Amino acid sequence: MQQQPPTSPDVSSAAKSPLFQSSTQYRNWRFSVEQLKATRAALNQASVAAIRNTFESDSPGSSSDVHFLDANEEHLLVKLYIIKISQLCGHFRFPEEVEATGITYLKRFYLKNTVMDWHPKNVMLTALYLATKTTNHPISLESYTANIPRTNASDVLDLEFLVAQSLAFEFAVWHAHRALWGIWLDIQDLPQAPPHEELQRIHDTAMQHIRTSRLTDVELIYPPSQIALACLSLAHPEIAAFWARSKNADTALEAIESIKRTITRDGDTPSVDVVREIDRHLKICKNPEKVVGSKAYLAKRAREEKEAELKRKKKAENVRKATEQGNPFGEVLVGQANLDDDD
Amino acid sequence: MDAVEKANAERQRRWVKDQKVGEGTYAVVYRGRELATGRKIAIKKIKVGQFKDGLDMSAVREVKYLRELQHPNIIELLDVFSSKTNLNLVLEFLDTDLEMIIKDRSLVFLPADIKSWMAMTFRGLEFCHRNFILHRDLKPNNLLIASDGQLKIADFGLARDAADPGYKMTCQVITRWYRPPELLFGCRYYSTAVDIWSVGCIFAELMLRIPYLPGESDMDQLKTIFRALGTPTDEEWPGHTKLPDYVSVGQFPRTPLRDLFTAASGDTLNLLSKCIIFEPRKRISARDALYHPYFFALPYPTHPSKLPKTAAQTAAASRPPDEVDGNVDPGGGAPAGVGKAAPPKKLKRKLSGHDLSRNIARKLDFTAS
Ligand SMILES: Nc1ncnc2c1ncn2[C@@H]1O[C@H](COP(=O)(O)OP(=O)(O)O)[C@@H](O)[C@H]1O
Ligand SMILES: [Mg+2]
Repeated sequence: MQQQPPTSPDVSSAAKSPLFQSSTQYRNWRFSVEQLKATRAALNQASVAAIRNTFESDSPGSSSDVHFLDANEEHLLVKLYIIKISQLCGHFRFPEEVEATGITYLKRFYLKNTVMDWHPKNVMLTALYLATKTTNHPISLESYTANIPRTNASDVLDLEFLVAQSLAFEFAVWHAHRALWGIWLDIQDLPQAPPHEELQRIHDTAMQHIRTSRLTDVELIYPPSQIALACLSLAHPEIAAFWARSKNADTALEAIESIKRTITRDGDTPSVDVVREIDRHLKICKNPEKVVGSKAYLAKRAREEKEAELKRKKKAENVRKATEQGNPFGEVLVGQANLDDDD
Repeated sequence: MDAVEKANAERQRRWVKDQKVGEGTYAVVYRGRELATGRKIAIKKIKVGQFKDGLDMSAVREVKYLRELQHPNIIELLDVFSSKTNLNLVLEFLDTDLEMIIKDRSLVFLPADIKSWMAMTFRGLEFCHRNFILHRDLKPNNLLIASDGQLKIADFGLARDAADPGYKMTCQVITRWYRPPELLFGCRYYSTAVDIWSVGCIFAELMLRIPYLPGESDMDQLKTIFRALGTPTDEEWPGHTKLPDYVSVGQFPRTPLRDLFTAASGDTLNLLSKCIIFEPRKRISARDALYHPYFFALPYPTHPSKLPKTAAQTAAASRPPDEVDGNVDPGGGAPAGVGKAAPPKKLKRKLSGHDLSRNIARKLDFTAS
């Protein structure tokens, strides 16, 4: 039996195949519009409550005048930093894959964390640096930070574990721009295909829509193949329809209408004034426990240090007991305990 | 604590680290178990602090691919958590690897056994390639064997996505003896065919019981290959003399595979020869290999559970599961305060993973029962 050899992947069908359906993206990073809203609201509420608590335990009554950010304001701020990632990628001439992945990481990070704990201006740098590695385009940290003003190595590395953890170490991302490429290859073989230059123009326009779509939530809601088709449809509805029909995927054409609406509605750049106002509030409402050197920060560190000390003592005690009980292999146990000591 | 850190700590508490069992190039591997079930697992601990560029590329690759790939012939990544400056990969525990089995002189391989290992290797590899993933370090040592005999492709530290045509990749991959000639000639645009060459070398090694093409240097590797298979002509492999690092290492005549693999069947040699074709585009794909007559001809592949086992595997299997996996004190590597047990039991656990101490531990087990 003759089948498609794995060396010449059919990207467009791959995007809908069971391969995508077994991916971590399909399983763990797709939400309904309502789920997204609820997740962000819950995260925001819990964060505000925790930070308010920290303020109050530091000095009672101090949180009453603070304007904490709401979920919407958080979201707008993150959106601004999505744009900054794109600018940075242009500066570094990073491939599309790196840019798209960095943006996805930033979005996923803020489904688990609040900007009041971790400012996106820092997280953005780490998310993008991690993306260079996970997409196999690594650059040295030195040349990365050398090209970004007022940034040193620890600004990037200190958050790397936190970002990786927030992503649940799920680094692989399926992107709409790859799916578009697959569709585009198909289109060239369609009898209705326009001449090459026009096809190229359509592709470039669709690609612009894909870049715009990165400012929106669509990648958290829809599979990449549908986003790609929606962007193609925004560029040239007839070609998109031809393709869908050639794949017997007419129903896809209805599904993409809401994607098109979302991209058109949410793909705008946030107003600088609005974001500046949010950032002004953030200076006051950010979590003092995360501000290195602050009173709350030091208190938290002291608490953690005490817990760790207790743990170490207990461990040492266990080893001592085992040795005292005349255990002939006490040496082994001691050696073993030392070996694991760095956890 | 933040929700993310809390989730990490919770994940960490599910697993107990017992005994060091191996050391890789960038990681230490421990035997351990799942706290709730006692299920045996391996923890691959990767030190991160030592890299100036943060998370190391091998770790990133391994985590990225194993998170996505779920297949009976690919090692299962059960969990990932971080502890201070370490990244910990929780993997299913595997008793041995194909290299140890090949080297165990007391074992006799039947043709059906080799067919079984090859089928499992191709199945795992076909799944990688279907997902557009190149492994780039296939060798017997990275094909691990589970207690039920299933072969699992492991060590994805060099893996990468199959690149778009025209995208350059590094040719410094794959352990030398298993490295295909196009990489030795410095080819930067390659495909899934590089893994197929490695599998061909492993196939031959299973029959010969020694490495098939053991070159002493990169240059000698080419000579070794051409001595075995003949120097390729431009017809056989068009354009190879134009590759970046092409050198002429001399003219060697082609000798039939039959001369070396005297006992092999025709189907066997046909599949082997298709794995080690010089021209990468003509090399068989993993998918097509699975449909090769070799796998449908008699003898049928041995059932994994009936495959030859090393002494260590047999010992591990014959011990009652309670003694190996039982409810013992987590001790040193575990979070403090997770249960307590009497020292003798603890001793037994600490020793059972050490090859040297295994006999002593077994003796103690007998006196205790
Ligand atoms: N899942 C596992 N079960 C049991 N032992 C393992 C497992 N994974 C690795 N090991 C042991 O640790 C060694 C190093 O692991 P490996 O993943 O090959 O690391 P590296 O990438 O550094 O080569 C292996 O050769 C093997 O002995
Ligand atoms: Mg290895």
